[in-house]
Amino acid sequence: MLNRKQKRGFLQIPFSWLFAIIVGAIIIFFAIYAAVKLIGTETTVSTAQTGSQISVLLNPLETSFGQEQVTTLSIPVESLLSNNCDNAGNFGSQQIVVSQMSGGKWTDTNIAPTSHNKYIFSNDSVEGKNFYLFSKPLELPFKVSDLIYLTSANDNYCFVSAPQPVQAELSNLKQGNVFTANCPSNSINVCFSQASKCDIVVNQNQLSVTKDGQTMYYETDALMYGAIFSSPDVYECQVQRLMERVNKLSMIYSDKENIISVKGCPVDTSLSADLLNIGQAATSVKTSADLINIASASDNADGENNMTSCRLW
Amino acid sequence: MKIQQMAFMLIAVTLFFVIAGLFILVINFSGVKQSAKLIDEENALTLVSKIADSPEFSCGNAFDQPLTSCIDTDKVMALENHIQDYRNFWGISGLQIAWVYPNNSTLANTSCTTGNYPACGKITLIPTSNGTGVPNFVNLCRREIDNNSIPYNQCDLGKVIVVYNG
Repeated sequence: MLNRKQKRGFLQIPFSWLFAIIVGAIIIFFAIYAAVKLIGTETTVSTAQTGSQISVLLNPLETSFGQEQVTTLSIPVESLLSNNCDNAGNFGSQQIVVSQMSGGKWTDTNIAPTSHNKYIFSNDSVEGKNFYLFSKPLELPFKVSDLIYLTSANDNYCFVSAPQPVQAELSNLKQGNVFTANCPSNSINVCFSQASKCDIVVNQNQLSVTKDGQTMYYETDALMYGAIFSSPDVYECQVQRLMERVNKLSMIYSDKENIISVKGCPVDTSLSADLLNIGQAATSVKTSADLINIASASDNADGENNMTSCRLW
Repeated sequence: MKIQQMAFMLIAVTLFFVIAGLFILVINFSGVKQSAKLIDEENALTLVSKIADSPEFSCGNAFDQPLTSCIDTDKVMALENHIQDYRNFWGISGLQIAWVYPNNSTLANTSCTTGNYPACGKITLIPTSNGTGVPNFVNLCRREIDNNSIPYNQCDLGKVIVVYNG
């Protein structure tokens, strides 16, 4: 007959040990959980801070009198910058969401500062450690904003058969990833005439840029660069946002005209009508194909503004 | 008795780590707050130096020749009518433009309205009662008409003040 001791299990662990192991395991589990959460929060804070700092860095890119500017942006770790454009609200909004490589995958965070006064043209997401930011003012006919073109230093752009003014402008910029001659073999080819191996085709007669199988339309070189350097969806969204600003600026210039007219400094009445037309045309722009509506009103207004003794802009 | 002692010990260890964790979190988040404040300050500093080139303020070619660091006050008065649309546009909490020289002390504190402009001392576009102001000197230009009805440019020294929360 087995005695009482022999009936007990093979592992004779005292209850105090069992208790310590279970409670210890629970504590360690919570500690690891808290540490993982804390690391996640730290990563989110870090990417949000980088996003905010990028937004601040873009302020000095505001130009005066057609001075194009180039600046570089370096991030210590490989990063993915996602361009989120939203055209809702008065002026729409712009977010640059920074994801950084962590544990072999991109951190997924949607926390990023929102800016309403910046227009960044880039692909949906741009990857790298070093980035180029090039800004150029958009004038329709008055200055609307500075457009910022964001590209990764990993992506080389080769402008094939570009017209002389474009070549001269790009050469003066000295942007490290833009070439007008002696292009590296892995370049993204931007063709201004029929050629083979074109990734992006610019048609200067139609004022259109074809990229990723989609055609975008432009007015002025500033929007042409926008179409070249950005994804079609980002481009169309930024055009909508810019048109909202054109509309507001045309109203401000209309009010300025009233203010200086009261002082005795009259403005041509046809300029008032053109400002109204610009505002209406801007409101009617639903896609970049509608930009043509604003072009003639813009040209007329610019001519009249230059002739009047009390210029509005 | 042994289990009771161990239970007390475990509770003490857990409490210690919880308190230490909370302490680290508080220090961490105060750093985040500090960073946010610093970013707001940097935004205000960079913005104030460039806001005069923004199309809502810039003189452009309106005064016969291109002028930099120049604010067109006629345009700013027009902007005042639409400022509600621009409330969150620059990401700042306050914005004011003030004349510095020539300085008419009786008008210095008079806010500009469509009725008294240009006989006034400041244009408050985004009013605020708190925050930190960052000033920058600029030219303030407007069109005036002389006694012979000839338009001329009147440019004064002024400052633009951007206020951020901090």
